[in-house]
Amino acid sequence: MYAVQGSSTLLRAKRAMSSGKLREHVGGTVLLLGTCSLLTDVSSEMVSAILPLYLVATLGFSPLQYGVVDGIYQGASALVRLLAGYLGDRLGRHKLVASFGYGVSAVCKLGLALVGSFWTGLSALILLDRTGKGLRTAPRDAMISLSAPEQELGLAFGVHRAMDTAGAMIGPLIAFALLAAAPGSYHNLFLISFFVAVLGFGVITLLVREPKPRRERPAKAETPDLRAALALLRGARFRALTIAGAALGLATISDGFIYLTLKDRIDFSDELFPLLATGTAILFMLLAVPLGQVADRIGRGRVFVGGYLVLLADYLVLLLPGAGAATLILALALLGTYYAATDGVLMAMGSVQLPDELRGSGLALLGTATSITQLLASVVFGALWTVVGIQTAIGLMAALLIVALVLAVRGLRVAGRA
Amino acid sequence: MRSPRTLVFVALAAVCGAAVVAIGTATVVDAQRSRHAADRAVKADAPLAAKILTSGKPYAVVRTLDKRQSSTYGRVAIAPLNGTTPGTPVLAGPTCGRVAVAAGRGLCLDSFGTTMGVEVLNAKLQQVHEIDLAGIPSRARISPDGRWGGVTAFVVGHAYAAPGTFSTATTLIDMDSGKAVANIEKDFKVYDGGRLVTAQDKNYWGLTFAKDDDTFYATLAANGRTWLIEGSIRARTAHTIHSNVECPSLSPDQTRIGFKKAVAHDPTRWRLTVLNLRTGKETPLAETRSVDDQVYWLDDRHLLYGEDGQTWIVDADGGGRPRVWLPNSDSATVEGARGAAVE
Repeated sequence: MYAVQGSSTLLRAKRAMSSGKLREHVGGTVLLLGTCSLLTDVSSEMVSAILPLYLVATLGFSPLQYGVVDGIYQGASALVRLLAGYLGDRLGRHKLVASFGYGVSAVCKLGLALVGSFWTGLSALILLDRTGKGLRTAPRDAMISLSAPEQELGLAFGVHRAMDTAGAMIGPLIAFALLAAAPGSYHNLFLISFFVAVLGFGVITLLVREPKPRRERPAKAETPDLRAALALLRGARFRALTIAGAALGLATISDGFIYLTLKDRIDFSDELFPLLATGTAILFMLLAVPLGQVADRIGRGRVFVGGYLVLLADYLVLLLPGAGAATLILALALLGTYYAATDGVLMAMGSVQLPDELRGSGLALLGTATSITQLLASVVFGALWTVVGIQTAIGLMAALLIVALVLAVRGLRVAGRA
Repeated sequence: MRSPRTLVFVALAAVCGAAVVAIGTATVVDAQRSRHAADRAVKADAPLAAKILTSGKPYAVVRTLDKRQSSTYGRVAIAPLNGTTPGTPVLAGPTCGRVAVAAGRGLCLDSFGTTMGVEVLNAKLQQVHEIDLAGIPSRARISPDGRWGGVTAFVVGHAYAAPGTFSTATTLIDMDSGKAVANIEKDFKVYDGGRLVTAQDKNYWGLTFAKDDDTFYATLAANGRTWLIEGSIRARTAHTIHSNVECPSLSPDQTRIGFKKAVAHDPTRWRLTVLNLRTGKETPLAETRSVDDQVYWLDDRHLLYGEDGQTWIVDADGGGRPRVWLPNSDSATVEGARGAAVE
């Protein structure tokens, strides 16, 4: 089902692209970066969708070994992201750093096809692949924010996130279709993934241009250094935004736990489980563009806070008695809407607070602050679930979210002050 | 518009597109060809297989893993037993990710993406029931009387779900009806030292059954530790009896558990060990490589396990030396008389 929806959205995006309408609004670079992300996500999601199957069913890894490989990264990811964001600023070449990240991931796909069942090699490749992902995120977001007109930033990030999510949904479909037709053909699957990744790499290296600074930089301006990057947090407005994002992150229950909660409340078949993420992704993909546009019109802060209100509503739906199919659909729809209203919008809000020459570092800082607090929230929520039970745990997170929202609204007011 | 870079990109896109189409087509065509070849090979072996199946003598059931015969890789094969030594295996049926037999019944776990087909087989290794469960095949065992089947699947979420998390689903199968009758995590109350285990991250894997048609053993994992649990199918309860035990396997004389024990504080390195259920004494086996399998008792003195694409045999008393039992195979179980050691 989502294949059709995915392709129709693509088609719409493509039509808009060819008519020049979308391009006029957000600039060609954003569409090209979206295409690059789409291809890269097709490539990497076709691998990550079947990676557990490959490791466990074919190479005979135990679930625990898989857990080690899969969790191998986590903390380091944030560090790489910060470093890459800063490096892009420092060199003044976001495209170079981002391209390097895309290139690393492409090479890893080829590596997977060649390395066989060599466990150390496999874990190294998976680690490297994720490093590539960490490397490209901040410079790519910096390029989006530097190339789209300021009043259309919400739309620009929305377009990018929609294309990115579309790729993440198409990838697993291709992978499972191939494995259904040719069971066990993992190596060829990795090769296909490699060629798709190379194409994505080609889009960024050959077609995307490094965005030119909009304002001429004063001749004696210094190259941005670490001190300047850290000083970003001394600026009251950007700091307020970062704190708002981090506070909300602390009250965010991760998708994984929301799905587990749904599984706990509604006794649906295990086979449906992978489809939950798909349901969320569909809404994210469909709403990212319109909500980005709305954010540009009525105020990004409003849509962003609205997104977290939707998340709060989602918690309440999880707490409703008599959970059934309707609960499931509503909960997923709300989760997808929350993503569409917050993920790109936060980056758009951050962009306008940041000087051009520190865009990469700043967006990395903002992204990392939210993702680290979200990770922390996951750990806390997992512990709460065990100790006080699922209902109370969600109730506590809902209360925390209300407090965070109050804090965030104040923070956003400070950030929005002209 | 037609800058050199654009032209290079168009060329690159053509190459990548052609490569994707070529690899995709070749993969699918190849798979079809190999499926036909495998069907022919199984057909050719059918008379030999029928002879072994109807001989009334014990035979081993394995998965063939001969990389030189890629078309039949993963197919079920049977080998007549002469004492503890297997004869030449012949192909006997379906493709499985894991297979087990006992008391004239079989279980074959096949995987389709993230779904697992659980096939109940009859004495001729033909499918009589099939159900779909979520996950990737991990372990399969049948109770000595053929009444119950136990399957473990490795369930993964999607890339969107929290990374670093995994879970296993261990399901009890009624072999008469082919239906899933219970999920250990959902339907059983499990106690550790008298206290109900409520950890949110608990997982179960590797069922093994006793002769009494009720008692079972399995691994419970919670909070980063593992335990051996002993339970009752009728009462839907279980309790922990030993720690650091994975993939238990009960000996034919019902006195010992063969298992893999995590060593060196590394959850992915194991030592095959035998636990005496009465005394609690652990005996490390002569196999010193890290083995990740649910062992199988060939008789009361020998254990079989898969490692390195081969089935190995090792003494149950910790002595001797591991030997290759059947090359290019794994997932070995035996149909027919088993128990007292055969010299």
